[in-house]
Order: sequence, then structure tokens, then C-alpha cells
Amino acid sequence: MEKLINFKIDGISVEAKKGETILTVARKNGIYIPTMCYISKTTPCASCRMCVVEATGVEGFVLSCNTPPTEGIEIKTNTKELENERTNIMKLYDVNHPLECGVCDKSGECDLQNKTLEFGISAQNFSARDQSRKIENWGLINYDPSLCILCEKCVHVCNEVIGDDAIEVKFGGYSSTIIPKNSETLDCTFCGECIAVCPVGALVSSDFKYSANAWELSRVPATCVHCSAGCSLEYETRHAGIDGDTSIYRVKNNFEFASLCGAGRFGFDFDNRDKSDEAAFHKAIEAVKSAKAIRFSSMITNEETHILQLLKEKLGVKLFNEDARKYQEFMKSYSSISGKKHHSGSLDAVKLSDAAIVIGTKVATDNPALRYALTTASKHNGAKIIYAHPIEDALMQNTVTQFMKYEVGTEEGVLALLANALLKDADLGEDEKAFFDALDLGYLEAESNIGHEEISEMIKSFSRTKNHVLIIGNDLIAHERALNIAKLAALIEKYSDFSLVIVPNEVNTLGVSLIADLDKDEDSIDVVGYNAKGNFLISSLKFANLSVGALNQQEGTFVNIDNRVLPTNVAVKFDGYTLSDIAAACGVKSENTIDYTAKLTPNSGFKNIDFDSLSNFLSPLGEDIRGYLLDEVVCEMNGKLEEVSDLPEFNGTVIYNSNPVLQFNGYTNISKQLEKDNTLRGSAQFATAAKISDGDRVEIRFDTQMILREFNLDNTLKGTIALNPMFDNVTDASRYKFEKSKIMRVSHE
Amino acid sequence: MVNNVNKPHDEWQESAYNLPAQYDSHRDSKAFIGWDGVSLFSEDVDVIRLAMEYAAQYQEYSEACGRCAPGRWGGRILYDQLDKIARGEGSVSDLNHLKEIGKSMQITSKCEIGKTVPNPILDLMHHFEDEFMACINEQKPSKHYNESVGYIAKITAPCTDACPAHVDIPAYIEGVRDLRFDDSLLATRQTMPLAHVCGRVCPHPCEEACRRTNLDEPISIMALKRLGADWETDHGYGFFHPMEKKPSTGKKVAVIGAGPAGLTTAYYLAAEGVEVDVYEELPVLGGEVAVGVPEYRMPIGKYNQDIECVRDMGVNFLVNRKITAEDMRKFESDYDATMVATGTRISKKVYCDNERFEIKGYWSAIEMLDQINLWDKYGIGEAVDLTGKTVVCVGGGFTSMDVVRCAIRANAKKVYMIYRRDEKTIIRNTTYEEYHEAVEEGVEFLFHSAVARMNDDENVLKSLLVDKFELVPDPNGGRAELVKVEGESYVIETDFLIPAVSQAADLKLLPEEWEIEKTSWGTIKTNGKDYMTSRTGIFASGDCEYGPMTIVNAVGQAKRASSVMSRYLQNGEITLTDDEIMEDHLRKLHVYNKKEKIKGWLPGLPREHSEILGVDIRKDNNKEVNLGFTQEQALSEAERCMRCYYIAMVAI
Repeated sequence: MEKLINFKIDGISVEAKKGETILTVARKNGIYIPTMCYISKTTPCASCRMCVVEATGVEGFVLSCNTPPTEGIEIKTNTKELENERTNIMKLYDVNHPLECGVCDKSGECDLQNKTLEFGISAQNFSARDQSRKIENWGLINYDPSLCILCEKCVHVCNEVIGDDAIEVKFGGYSSTIIPKNSETLDCTFCGECIAVCPVGALVSSDFKYSANAWELSRVPATCVHCSAGCSLEYETRHAGIDGDTSIYRVKNNFEFASLCGAGRFGFDFDNRDKSDEAAFHKAIEAVKSAKAIRFSSMITNEETHILQLLKEKLGVKLFNEDARKYQEFMKSYSSISGKKHHSGSLDAVKLSDAAIVIGTKVATDNPALRYALTTASKHNGAKIIYAHPIEDALMQNTVTQFMKYEVGTEEGVLALLANALLKDADLGEDEKAFFDALDLGYLEAESNIGHEEISEMIKSFSRTKNHVLIIGNDLIAHERALNIAKLAALIEKYSDFSLVIVPNEVNTLGVSLIADLDKDEDSIDVVGYNAKGNFLISSLKFANLSVGALNQQEGTFVNIDNRVLPTNVAVKFDGYTLSDIAAACGVKSENTIDYTAKLTPNSGFKNIDFDSLSNFLSPLGEDIRGYLLDEVVCEMNGKLEEVSDLPEFNGTVIYNSNPVLQFNGYTNISKQLEKDNTLRGSAQFATAAKISDGDRVEIRFDTQMILREFNLDNTLKGTIALNPMFDNVTDASRYKFEKSKIMRVSHE
Repeated sequence: MVNNVNKPHDEWQESAYNLPAQYDSHRDSKAFIGWDGVSLFSEDVDVIRLAMEYAAQYQEYSEACGRCAPGRWGGRILYDQLDKIARGEGSVSDLNHLKEIGKSMQITSKCEIGKTVPNPILDLMHHFEDEFMACINEQKPSKHYNESVGYIAKITAPCTDACPAHVDIPAYIEGVRDLRFDDSLLATRQTMPLAHVCGRVCPHPCEEACRRTNLDEPISIMALKRLGADWETDHGYGFFHPMEKKPSTGKKVAVIGAGPAGLTTAYYLAAEGVEVDVYEELPVLGGEVAVGVPEYRMPIGKYNQDIECVRDMGVNFLVNRKITAEDMRKFESDYDATMVATGTRISKKVYCDNERFEIKGYWSAIEMLDQINLWDKYGIGEAVDLTGKTVVCVGGGFTSMDVVRCAIRANAKKVYMIYRRDEKTIIRNTTYEEYHEAVEEGVEFLFHSAVARMNDDENVLKSLLVDKFELVPDPNGGRAELVKVEGESYVIETDFLIPAVSQAADLKLLPEEWEIEKTSWGTIKTNGKDYMTSRTGIFASGDCEYGPMTIVNAVGQAKRASSVMSRYLQNGEITLTDDEIMEDHLRKLHVYNKKEKIKGWLPGLPREHSEILGVDIRKDNNKEVNLGFTQEQALSEAERCMRCYYIAMVAI
């Protein structure tokens, strides 16, 4: 049991754990100490000096944000002298700060405004010679140095939480300013976190700038739909124009504790504006009634998935969703060894880890929140992070401590090698021992290209670590040998202190896999596509036979990577029919889609809780109390490891289906602020091997597919694998993402 | 505050401090203004402008600070208001503003620079109120407002001042605290290319001058240095250099010796666009840190990172090249300058009876450590196996500690350390950790002892006669004297006697006809400021100049020397920059004041200690003993740093 430090703040007895500061303890106990630069999720910036307090027996004021308390001290937070100095600091903050609040985006939610009022500063007491400062336009982000108060929050989050490390303070006293780091202009992943944390109007969204005042916007708490992290966000909406249409103006989040990537923050305008079409609705009912199957994507709520499952039961249609089915199969196999339904890890476990292995995911683009969690672990805990993948990712360099480059297709062998090393001293069962004894390590090392030294280096780097996480990506889930891989992952989780995170592909891959009884996809003529390919297309995107609302126009729940059931709400109303309406016409009736929230299957860990009882916010101290965590479900342990099969070889030109930064799906593809680079990107080495050059139109053939794309050289890439985007929906994202391909230049017309 | 203004010359009051009344050989100082007050050496000083210029320097130098609200805006207001008064446009309310802002800065600034800049300014306003009021009332400029006067300022900190390499310690600690490990490393590398080494085996004189000591315990400064370096290595980055390599100047320099001094000279000269060839006698690079300091204290993999960083700057290394006097003569025409950094690689004798090199078992520390390290680190030569042997080392410094602990690792049956003085002194001369780790590993320390005679049997060492001494205080209050205790002498049977008393420089490479001046203890003589020898164009740094000293001392000398050399290569003159002159003045002054009372910090936060490998796990192998801080420890240690930056300024 760790020793607690007992002390007093304003006469109240409080206690601190190791690592807590006077300020954090004060906040936990509801005692107010003003700050301008403090942000909970980073190390203290310590620039504002507002949080000074008095300590008995100590001459001068002590900074509370970065000082841990000592046993028995008595802290005062609100003496006259402190008030006086804080007021003086506020007077300084107001030196030459422009008074044009009327045209500032931040007005109404500005920390400087708030504190100026709080301290009753009614005039600018001091002035200094003013300086001319240019407003910087950094693409999605605008920076106005004359509004900047140099709190350094932006710099801290960019480096410590996001990992881009793209901005820094240019020191120069009074002319200090924020500048792009090592670059003329801002070169980053445009998560927009710097905008979120900016307490004043210095860093603003270029798109939102001058479009609305803070107090005119309504806030709709929701869940981001772009990846399986299910980040908490708020859509801010307002009536636009005299016809009264509501639009989303921007997205905000509880930046004090949580983060968002750029797709979440800037990719919000995917709501479907189509109008109600009764004729199409009737055709849709007919299509569903006569369909052999409904194919749907994992960008769907639990409740709608439940409706599809009911339709299956009622009409006997098959349900196709290869993405969720593969996850389901993987987890079933996992459960057969682990004896439980859900993986043990979470984003929080990753944040708290000091050792992590990431395998089979290009994590920075697959799941940015996971990347941020790794950044947090790396920076704050000095975590040793092993990144195993055939392609090195420049975005991960400042996080990753060891890159293990394995040969495409050898994932089963790599995980077997890892398990063999991690479970060396584990108390395994007879069968499991036999499995490891039978491993041909030499063969696996040779074929996967993961040498013995690499494994020992990893084990050595873990020597002083305590909190371990294994992160399994889609390359393992969609792998031919996924079922045995799942068992290996389960084995590691079971016999070591590693917690396990199995990364779902889409926002609700996990939820769908828990709810729907899925059939193996087969080419068939009579398929209704629900936000997926089909002969009759029901979709919130273009070319729909029946238009339905997008995910920001629906209420319902998702299950994210943490096994947390998360509610989302309607930001913009959709004027048309829903899946529930179609289902009702087919005999599956319910008043509202969200009536099903409490009826989701308890066999998968869902709880009998009404949608309206689910909270959708973080606690004042930052705990994620949104929705609820799935109950653990005990499963039968009847699985047995199979021998590792021969490792496949991927020769010739190989592509990896992987999205560029900020792109995820059909929604991000239509968001006006997000860049849409749908080129095939490869290194110079790839170009030489494929005999193509920068700017060529190329034809990519693999399996039965043929895709036309422009080829672009990308000097951040190395090796002979090119990246083929998926967000424009020309590539099936549920397949194993590496493809042996034929690539040919197409002559220009 | 020393004020000699308006006093007759013979009544001038002397400052209690060692203030630089003479700036350099041809310039007097008119005034010295610093964090603790002002000294005026001339009656003609314009105090208003002095205050204004000091505030201006704070503005100028605020790249080191400017990171808190009171400092950033307060500093600017100080300057603006003082300038307003000095140019004759001030008002009484400006004076009040100055006082108010000054006080706020003193109380709430982030670092000492912000807290102390108002001190001398408020002093001047108080003592020379009349002059300030005259400018305000008559709306006239201050007396020398429009003349050009030289003001030279320097940022320092007690730790930086005490560090022989003058590393910007608060900046690298701030880098750790801000989790900007690249910034941390860049701050170190400005003056110290050996971040891995000096993050591990530096005797850290900086920690003796840490102001935090006045509050509770000094910051663990050294251990925080390796975070930046480890981060660079762990993430497979190339090398972060704090400066851009300048285009080639066409000048060439030879550096003799690839130890800390040679590496440092090479790094900073190469950065200046000089072509540098480093000649190393041994087959490996790194000097004594490579072949002297054992693997368990300084893993060679880490040191090689430092060496590669130097190479990355574009330095040529030539190994297995022992330089002779003939080479040196040739270098004079082949190169534009030469740095001698050959260290001290001759073990001195213990001066006992029958001390003969022919005796088998008489083994110099340098030779023993060479053999051990060349084998352990590079697989060169053969392993040292002392199984069943008894080893006696005579010493008391770091080298002797390395000898005895290596002997333990070479499986010696029994290891003795013979030392003339007591336990307290050996700890002071090395470190507490080093001594206690050696004791834990089984070394037996024989204090107040000295070898009187080597006993051999046909030139094979058999035993040693050891005399016992006691410390007799001088009745006149002088230094206590070691006096032999008659009848207490004893004999130790041993297979080896390893002298590790001290080392001398081998200077046979210096051509005799050059008549290069030497010190009385046989090292190369320089003035300790520019490091040029008595022969123009030949420089010396590190142990061969100073005598056996620390790594950081060698780095500091070589850093300074490289700066002097870079100017010498351009204009043939030996000069110091203003920054360097101020650095030397401040060093004399001692920035650290151990009597100062610390305000504004909560005392009682203990210093972190890094994990040490258990004695049973470490004593029979070369595993690194000190595991360094965990990230959690490093962050809480970095949070203790008080950022004691100061500005000093001289008016000339």
C-alpha cells in the first residue's frame, strides 16, 4: 500500500498520492485555484503563475501546479496577498491584448475574458510598445500571435499527447510566439488539438472563423464515428439562414482530458440532406422482403444491427458483414482459449503502460486515439514501444523504441515467436508446452525476418517495465490464419501480465460482432446493401436507391475498442425514412430505434439500460463515465492451438490497403475540410520495382479487383510496399490488407 | 551595493566580492550590475541608462526565459518605462509602475532571472531617486542617453557556472520537465558533445553548486542528462546537432587523441566548417573513457553513440596512429593548427622500496584497464582472469576504484585497496556511490596505509610490506600531517600490485626544439583561458594540459579551445569572445552562494535515487550498475529544479 501524504488546504485535511501536486489535490477536493496555462493531460506548463499559493513556514509563494505537497504542510489558496499578485498577473495578461472581442471567435468562451472579469480588471493598466504581428494561415488552422498569451498548452499537447511535435515556442520574451517546428509552415496530422486547447482566439479553425459566436451554438454530445476509438465529442449546431436548416458548425470536445483527431474534429459535415421519398421507401420495403441477404457496414449503431438481426430471424435473409464477421470469428477463437468474451485492454491501459507491443496495424491512421495513447505512454511513462509491421511509419518514430519489420503474411509466425519469448517462464499447460516445444524457431525467424537478437532486445528493453499491453491490429484479424493467431494472443494474455487490445476496424465492428449472427459473404444478385454494396442500395451516401440518415443524424449506441457502450445523438435531423421504418413494414415493429438499446443481447455482455439513462460526458475529474462497460461473459475453453502453418511468401509488387491521415470512410471522403488524397503512394524503390513514376495513372489488379489510381511518390515511405487508400470505397476494407498486385501504367488519353 | 559615485577617489569603497573592475587587458569596467546588486566603478555612470540597458538585456536574453507571464510582459514594461524616463519623457506614475511591476516579477516569476532582474533596477531607483526625478521633472534625457557605451551581458546559473563545460543545465532539465527530450539534448550539446558519458560518469561538480541544496537537497543533475541522449538513441533518430555545420572554411586541424578533449575539439571545430583529422594511438576511439572506465559504469554502446555524433558532424578519425615528434613537425605545415589532447597515460609509481617494473605482478593501472576494456568492449587482445589471485591496488581516485572493481569482476580471490588517508577523503575524492558499491562487491579498504616495500622471489611478486599512518593535527592550526605509526607495519601476501596513484603525461611527441613550456608537474602549459601552448598554432587541452582530471574538465577546456582555434584559423589572433570573458569573470566571482535563503519553493522534496543493480547480480559481470531514473523519477526530479538563471552585465 502506497503511503499517502496528509496535509491541509485552506484548513481542510486532504491527502495526496505520489505524483499528485497541490493543485491536483485541491481540484479533487473541490478547492478552486485559478490557472491560465494548466491542462490536466500534460505536464504543467508553469507559465501563467496564477496558481501560486502560500505554505506555512515558507517565505514567498509556491507554485501549486508542479509542487507535490509534503507531509503536514498547510496551504492557503486565497489570501489577500495572493489575490493581489494574481490580479497583477491578469493585468499583465491584458497588456496590449486587442480589445476587439466582438470579432474574436473565442469571445464568450475565452479564458482571458473570464479571468479578466473574475479579477475585476476594468482597464488596461499597463502598456508596452506594440509590435506588428502577422496572422499565420496554416491550412485548417489559423494563428494570430497578437492574441496569443503564450500559455504553451498547444505546444504541450502536440508533443505529449498527439505526438506530432509540430509546433514550438520561439523564445523571445515579449515577442515570443508559436511557430511550426523544423518547418516553414505547419507540417502535421492536423488533429486540431492546438485549437481545442487554446484558451484565447489565437489558434482557431480556418473554417469556423467568423462564422458564429460561441453563445449561438447548441451542443449535441455524441460519439465520433470515424474509427473504433469512439471518441467523445460535441457537435455544435445552429440554424443557418432563414429557412431554418440546422447545420453543424464545428466539433468540440472535453480537451482537458480527452483528445480528438482531425477527422473527428473537422470531418463532421457528412449529414444527408436528401428529402423524404415515399416511392423509394416502398421500393426498399419490396427489395428487403425479396432479398436473399442484407449486406451492411460496421458504421451502424447497435440498435440498427439488432433490427437487422430481427429481420434475419423474421424474413430468413442472410446478413453479410465481412469486417464484423472476421472480428467475430477472431474473438470466438480467442474466447476458446481465454474463457471470456472480451479482450482485457483499453485505451487507458495503453496510456498507463510502460511497455507495449503493436502488431499488424498502421496505428496512426487506423486508430489515431490509440496512437495518442501510445504517445502519452511514451512521453509520460518512457514506455518501450515495439512496433511490428512490414512498413515503417514515420509518424510513429518518436513513440516507437523498436521497429520489428516482418515479412508480409508471416503474422502467425511473428506472434508465435513473440509468445514463445514472452511466455518463456510461464506456467503453461501440457498441450501449450508441447506447442512451443514443437515450434521451429529457426524456420519462423528466417521466414518472418524477425531475428533472435530482435526478440532478445525487446525482452531486454522490457526489463524494468511493469504495465504491459499487446495491441493486435486488423492484419492479424483478417489474416488467413486468424483463428490460430487469436489463440496465440489469448495465450499471451492468459499466461503473462500483458493486457490485450484487439483493434476493431470501424466504429462499431465490435458491437456488430456481438449482436448479429453473420453469414459468410457470397456474391449473390438479391442483396440489399445497407451502407454497403448491394443491388438495392439503402445508404446515407450518394447513389442510394433509398436515402437514410447519416450517423450524425441518428441516435443509438456503439461499442468501442474499450468494450464500452457509447451513446450518440442526433446533431442534424434527417427528413426521411429509417431502417426502423422499413423493418416495421416487414413486421419488426418498435416506436423508436433506441427502444432496442435496453434489449441488446445480455449473452454478449450488454446491460438492460435504457438509452436515455446513458450518460455522455466525462466526470469533472476526467473519468470516462459515458455509457457503460460491457459485462464480462464466461465462455467455454475448448480451443486448442494448431501447429503454425507454413508461412506464406508475398513476392512481386505488394500494396497495403491503408488510408492517408484524416481519411477513414465515405463520410470523411465528403467532408469539405479534409484533404482527399486517393493516390497510390509509394517509395522511389517501389516505383522502380513497379516501373512507374510520380504522377502516372496506374491500373492496380489484385484478386478479382481492378482499381485506377494516380501514383505519387512519398519520400516518407521506404521499401517495396505501396499504400492504397480505402476511404473512397473502391477497395474492400475487410480483406487482409496486403495484396499481391499487378500494377501497370495506363497511357493518358 | 557599492556606490563610489561622487566620492573622492581615495574614499572609494571596495566591494566584498571579486567583481571585475577590469574587464580585459585594455578595458576597464565602469559598472557591474547583477542579480544581487550594482557596483559602480566610475563616477560618470549614467544609472538610468544602466538600469534601462539591464532591462534591455533581459529582453535580449529572454530566449532563456520569457516563459512566464510576469517575466514576459513585466520585463518588457520595465524596459519601456525605463527607456521613457531615460529619454526624458517619463512621469512619476511611470516610477510607480516600475515599482509595482518589479515587485510582482520578484514574487511570481518562473525562474530566478525574472525574479532577480528587478533587484538592481529597484536599487538604482532607490539610491539615485534624485537623478530619476531630475529627468522626469525637467523632461530631459539622462546624461549619456545618446552616447554609445558598451554593455556586455551574460546569462548564467550557479550550476552552469560550476560546470567546467558550462552546460546550460537548467535548459536541459527544462527539456526533461517539458518532455521535450530533443530540446534537452540540444541544450546539452551546445557545449558538451558527450551527453551519454556525462549523463553517467561525470563527478558532477554542478551538484555542489545547486541552489536547491539551500532548500533541501541538490538536484540529481547528472542523471537527468542521459534522458535526452537515451531518447535519441531509443528512437533511432540520427543525431540532433544544436548548430548547422558551417560551409567549409578550407582550414585543417589535426587533433591528437580521440578522448573526451579530442572529441570535443573535433566536434565544435567541424561545426565551424573546419576539416578535422583525429589521430588515435589505440585501435579504438574514445580515450580513457573507452579503455579506462569499465563497461559496468559506462557501456561502450552508449559511448559509441557520443563518438558517432562527433563523426556525424564530419570528423575524420584515424586509429592505430601513434604521433611522433616527426609527425608533429610535418603537421605544422600540413595543418593550420594542432590540438594535443593525449591525456595522461603513464601510471605513476607508488614510490616504495624495490619498486621495479621487471617484477612479475607489478602491473600499472593503465595497462590493466587497457587489457580489460579492450577485451570486454571490443574483443581485442585477451581476457583478464584473476581466478585464485590476490590483488592490491594503491590509489584513492576514480581509476583505483575501477581497478579494484574490475579485479572483482575478473574473479580475483581477494582485492585490497591501500589508501593513505581515511574513508571520508576517499568518498570526497570519488563518490559515495562508487565507494560503497566497491565495498559491497567485496573490496577491502586499508586506510591510513602505504606500501613500503615490494617483496619478490626471483622477480615474482610475493608480498608487500605495508606501513600504517595516523593523522597528527598541527598544533599551530596548519594542515594535519600523516605520521607513520612505528611497529604497526604488516605484510600482505599478494600476486599483484597495481599502482593507481596518479598518471603522468607522455609528451615525447612534442619536438624538443619547439621548447614547449611545461608545468612543474609535467603537463603542457597554457594560460587556462585560450589553451594555446607557448608555440603558436599548437593547442593543448584535457589531462595532458591540466593533469589527470575529470571528463567534464577536458570537455570544458576543449570547448573553449575550439572556439579560440576557430577564430585563430580565420585571423591568426588569439582572442576570447565577450561571452567567454564574462564566463571567466563570473567563475571567479562564484555564482553560487550557499548562504542565500531560498524563497518561493516548498522545501522537503527529497532527491530521487536511481536503481542500482543488486550486488549479487552485478559483481561477476559487466552489466551496467546504475540503471538510471525511471521516467517517473526523472520527471519528479526535474520538477525540483528552480531554474536559477541570472543576468550579469558590465558597462565598459
